[in-house]
Amino acid sequence: MLAKLNRRNFLEVLGQATAAGGLIVLLGPRATQATTTPEDEAYDWEEHSYVYLIDISKCIGCGSCVRGCKAENDVPDGFYRTWVERYAIAGLEEVRIDSPQGGLNGFQPDPTAPASTKSFFVPKLCNHCSNTPCVQVCPVGASYQTKDGLVLVDKDHCVGCGYCVQACPYGSRFLDPETHTAEKCTWCYHRISKGELPACVASCPTGTRRFGDLKREGDEVVAIIRSQNVGVLAKELLTKPRCYYLHLDGEVR
Amino acid sequence: MSDAPERHSKHLYRAVIVIVGGLIAIFSSRLLLMPKSFGEHGWYRFDNVAEQMAKPVKHGGNASCKSCHGEQSEQHDGAGHATVPCESCHAPLATHVKEKKKSADMKVERTYKLCARCHQKLEARPKDFPQVVLKEHLEDQGETLEGDVCLNCHQPHAPLEDL
Repeated sequence: MLAKLNRRNFLEVLGQATAAGGLIVLLGPRATQATTTPEDEAYDWEEHSYVYLIDISKCIGCGSCVRGCKAENDVPDGFYRTWVERYAIAGLEEVRIDSPQGGLNGFQPDPTAPASTKSFFVPKLCNHCSNTPCVQVCPVGASYQTKDGLVLVDKDHCVGCGYCVQACPYGSRFLDPETHTAEKCTWCYHRISKGELPACVASCPTGTRRFGDLKREGDEVVAIIRSQNVGVLAKELLTKPRCYYLHLDGEVR
Repeated sequence: MSDAPERHSKHLYRAVIVIVGGLIAIFSSRLLLMPKSFGEHGWYRFDNVAEQMAKPVKHGGNASCKSCHGEQSEQHDGAGHATVPCESCHAPLATHVKEKKKSADMKVERTYKLCARCHQKLEARPKDFPQVVLKEHLEDQGETLEGDVCLNCHQPHAPLEDL
């Protein structure tokens, strides 16, 4: 081949070699990184698609979930990744909602509340929307969606602009007062990727909070979502939440 | 006429230099400024997924408690509080055990406030959930609402036993 090298095909060979070299330089490091993560090789995020189910009729407002979440994730004082709201509805119009310290220490009887016709607790957390506004507004790619359906924040990459905090229609995000970066519920990704339940689900004494996987055969939670009357928060926003509520009252927002 | 092509080729060289220089600037700043693993699976840093997964687990679950506290676990599992996870009343395993050895005493609140979180009567609670107006309940027993008064009658692991 070398013997046949003339001016024209020398330039062709040179061009091909440069392109190949460039590709190796550009793609080389990426290809090797892809095989080194995720750290836990037993976990394949393409084999899971998580959903969350909250049965409002079972919640007693004890706040175990809020305390469990705080302890598991070192959530700063005064901020909540999950919280519990108490709804008291009088007649058809007056709706009173309270959540003292996010329900961290439970609830007290409220003597000032007007006589309500119905009252119940609503646990809340990040809905891990499939069509989420928070990821769309992030200008630096710090908020992202995983293949198993979660919305996570890269703290090292977040610039703390707070757009996502404003974009979330559920109030699920806040800026960490120490790092000044966006914080939110991760459904305890460090636990679920090891086969454990999120801390809030593991702390719930009444079975109000349950965790399911759309890709697991015979999943009880998925069966409930498919067969019973469930709702999602603010469906009209088309965010497609992965958090489903059983026995959801129309007044809950 | 004879030097015209030479002049045109000069323009061409300048344009090529500007384009090549621009490309070099773009790719070198991309290499320098873009975090490693950014863009592997989408517009984010893929390494963060592994970082999120690597965080330590703090709640160990009832089985981890049982491995040392078998007697209490057995009593708990067969009684009214069976569905209440150990760590909901106590504290996460990580505050008590490090490297499979006891690192600190397990904290537990013994006052009526812990019991009240679940059993104080509230309008919002499901009607079939066992709850009492604490003050009235205690007055009926001739007790007052203070300290660990609930423990005088109730054993937390088996709350309705020996009553």
